[in-house]
Amino acid sequence: MDIIRTKNLSKDYSMGKVKVNALIDIDLCVQQGEFVAIMGPSGSGKSTLMHIIGCLDRPSSGEYYLDNVLVSNMPKSALAAVRNKKIGFIFQSFNLLPHLNILKNVELPLMYGGFSGNKRSARAREILAGVGLEDRLRHKPTELSGGQRQRVAIARAIVNEPSILLADEPTGNLDSQAGSDILHIFEELHKAGNTVIMVTHDNAVAERADRIIRIMDGKISDDYTLT
Amino acid sequence: MTIPLLESIKIGLADILMRKVRSIVTVIGIVLGVMCIMVVLAIVSGMNKSTMSWMEERGGLNKISVYANWNYDFSKGGDASFNLREINFLRSQIPEASAVNPTINFGDGHLWYKDKHYSGWVMGVMPDMVTVEQWNAEKGRFIKDIDVQNSNNVIVLGTSVARELFGSRNPIGQSISMSGHVFQVIGIMKHRYKEPQGGEAAFSENFLEYMNQQSFIPLSTMMNKVSPGNPIRSFEIRASSPETAPALRQKVENIILNLKHGKRVFQVISAQEQADMMKKNSMIFSVIFVLIAVISLLVGGIVIMNIMLASIKERTREIGVRLAIGARPLDIFLQFLVQTILITALGGVLGIVLGYAILGQVGKFLQISVSASYQMIWSALSVSVGVGMIFGVLPAMNAARLDPVVALREE
Repeated sequence: MDIIRTKNLSKDYSMGKVKVNALIDIDLCVQQGEFVAIMGPSGSGKSTLMHIIGCLDRPSSGEYYLDNVLVSNMPKSALAAVRNKKIGFIFQSFNLLPHLNILKNVELPLMYGGFSGNKRSARAREILAGVGLEDRLRHKPTELSGGQRQRVAIARAIVNEPSILLADEPTGNLDSQAGSDILHIFEELHKAGNTVIMVTHDNAVAERADRIIRIMDGKISDDYTLT
Repeated sequence: MTIPLLESIKIGLADILMRKVRSIVTVIGIVLGVMCIMVVLAIVSGMNKSTMSWMEERGGLNKISVYANWNYDFSKGGDASFNLREINFLRSQIPEASAVNPTINFGDGHLWYKDKHYSGWVMGVMPDMVTVEQWNAEKGRFIKDIDVQNSNNVIVLGTSVARELFGSRNPIGQSISMSGHVFQVIGIMKHRYKEPQGGEAAFSENFLEYMNQQSFIPLSTMMNKVSPGNPIRSFEIRASSPETAPALRQKVENIILNLKHGKRVFQVISAQEQADMMKKNSMIFSVIFVLIAVISLLVGGIVIMNIMLASIKERTREIGVRLAIGARPLDIFLQFLVQTILITALGGVLGIVLGYAILGQVGKFLQISVSASYQMIWSALSVSVGVGMIFGVLPAMNAARLDPVVALREE
């Protein structure tokens, strides 16, 4: 089943008087349960593609179906609900809220999803235990190592059981050991049936995925499955 | 659907506690503004109360006074006095009045008890004065109809007169002499007291002391024996209720104008209208002060708006993260609006507490009685919440309008 399907997806920006075509007629399908790495140099359009896939941005033209639902023409507030239910974000710089403890950070998507306090707390504890942080619940993000912070971010991303996990350079701010641990978690999540999409420019990282899509000048230049 | 308000309140409170110093600085303008409103309202309501009690002590709002018009140019002719016939006619014209008391003032009243002497106002009055002035004898009795009919030589003393002449002895039944006549003391008036307000403190410790320095004899005794030829220059009427007083005042004024052939030699004043006037005067003060307080609240509101705008700029990335994980723009809007309202409400509470704390000192300093009420607390609180609502909208809108992609890129 296609979890992501795009048709003639384009995105232009106008920077002053100059029009920039960030994405040009992207046709892309991602199956349920795939582990995909998106690669490309900076300025290639891979970030724009990720923003559109993550429903943070809307295409200028073309169609985007997420879970067989056309989301490319949804209003902003509806997109927020889609992000909450269907997408789990993992960022290079973790993007945890610094003044909340890690339990509260992981509870956030559940709060915006409308869960009650008790359910939130129970679910967040369960997920944090899954990434091995059950004894750090009351710690602030600044009290944790980079690898631990990224594990909190992963917990936050999967707590709502989203359809896809979107990771933007997830190992970019980590040393090789911590980065390897994080990739191991992604492999585990992938094995458990999750769809994982990871943006990276590191070949070694990309090769942990099943499929690599290369973007160049707003177009897909290469798309192959690793064996 | 948005997240419950309770969540926004929780987030807002946590933010405020996290940035304690900033929150306090933010809110000082509101605290001072609310404190100012609180104190002003308390002073105004204290002044109104004090005006009312002063009116009550002088016979209440039912009272209508008739006395010579000081603004009238008497060179044009006219006589600011009444004879008994005119009084009786007037009385017959206003059956709705509960009481009428014509008065003859005798300023040169030298009272002697043995070798003790007291010089003060002696008034020739009717028994109705008890009703008109709401003031009766406390010891003994007041003048009765029979005293007027027989022009009896009886006198009722004010408390100060009695104290000066008799000290601690009981004056009732004693004889005193005045202008060659001997009077029997039949009663002592109730002591009248009103603490002075503000600058009046310089004059006397009792604002109504002049009343305690008066003595009363029957009107007929005054006319026939003590001061023949001294006309009735003033009288007081009691309306059946404060509400009917203005209409009765108008009627009395017309009757007197007719009696005096259209010459305005008398003025007719109703206590009700006087009180309204005084209230109107104090209203001007309160409007000015409340205006000042409102301006300080506006300034406080603008400061808060400014700080919220800066704070949202600083928290752009946090907003981006919240949007990315599923916050709707409305959730973000409410988060910051609620936070602003919480800050101003907090300021309101602080302002009320501070205002309440300094109220007594302010009252003592100005020598004014102040009175705070729950109504004031509610109005101060709702004003501060209102300021938060008004000045919180723009920053909250700015936050809610952020593009998540741009917000996440912010460092």
